[in-house]
Amino acid sequence: MPEVAQEARFMGAVTALSMHEMQNILAIIRESAGLMGDILKVNARVDFKHRPNMERTLEHISSHVDRGKGLLEATSRLAHSPDDDLLEGCDLTVYARTVALLSERLVRLKGAAVNFSGPSTALPVAVGALRVLMTGYKAVQWAVGGGVKDGVVDLNVQGGQDFHVLSVRPPQGVSPDLEGVAFLGALLDDGKVEWDGTRLRILLPARRQG
Amino acid sequence: MNTSAWNILLVDDEVEFVSTLAERLELRGINARVAYDGESALKAVAENEPQVMVLDVMMPGIKGLDVLQRVREEHPKVRVILLTGQGKTRDGIEGMRYGAFAYMMKPLDLEELIRTLREAMSAQEGTPDA
Repeated sequence: MPEVAQEARFMGAVTALSMHEMQNILAIIRESAGLMGDILKVNARVDFKHRPNMERTLEHISSHVDRGKGLLEATSRLAHSPDDDLLEGCDLTVYARTVALLSERLVRLKGAAVNFSGPSTALPVAVGALRVLMTGYKAVQWAVGGGVKDGVVDLNVQGGQDFHVLSVRPPQGVSPDLEGVAFLGALLDDGKVEWDGTRLRILLPARRQG
Repeated sequence: MNTSAWNILLVDDEVEFVSTLAERLELRGINARVAYDGESALKAVAENEPQVMVLDVMMPGIKGLDVLQRVREEHPKVRVILLTGQGKTRDGIEGMRYGAFAYMMKPLDLEELIRTLREAMSAQEGTPDA
């Protein structure tokens, strides 16, 4: 079984607990805002001056709870990634989507956006969750390394016979530092990283089921 | 389906969450009782067996999965919907193995919860001890 530092396990355990608290906080905010919305609907005929402002504010709360929910899910997955049952393998579809969610802010700070596409089915790989997250995140970081404007980083997952592939396409017009490809490859004990001229392909060994 | 006749028990140690959820269900014509820990949940089930129980997995005292197991053993007709954390699908899958009807993640989507409650009620009425 691959080794994970005690520090990583500690950080994961504490973060996971905090995320659980955050989810309770978001749940209370959602239900409280929802109840206020319900009361406004029940009293739809009662007009008052600030009704539109209140309705708009409740919509903001609801959409930001959804935003927080996505981030919470991704951070919880990151926190649980050093768990024993995720050290030797994980579902690439789930963890690539997690990379997309976790890197949204980073990419936005560089003036771009991140787009994820992939199958709805599981793609089990024989690489631990923490390693997939780290390699995927660093690949996105590499793709926007030079800074971009209005570009999109495409993250895609595809199944294969022996390898499943996570590909990262930098925004158009960006020439990534090709020396970084070797650095990313070195993060993986199993699997390899290739640059095909337009996108980075991270090949991870498929895990046989059963 | 007449929702006013439903007997639902909501169990979560987050008092504001579970009481607000009960109020929202009530506005939709669904009566729900609440319990704030595993022990009082088991007591509430013994006193007045609900058709469906919505149960948080992570609570102080008796854990949600232990409550689930006890309820499945002693009150097999009760359908249990588990509430799990984001990224904690493992708890949900384990719960399904113990006989939970479904699992959902917090924060909840109320319409999705009502859909799941409706399905659980149909299953409760159709197959008594499944």
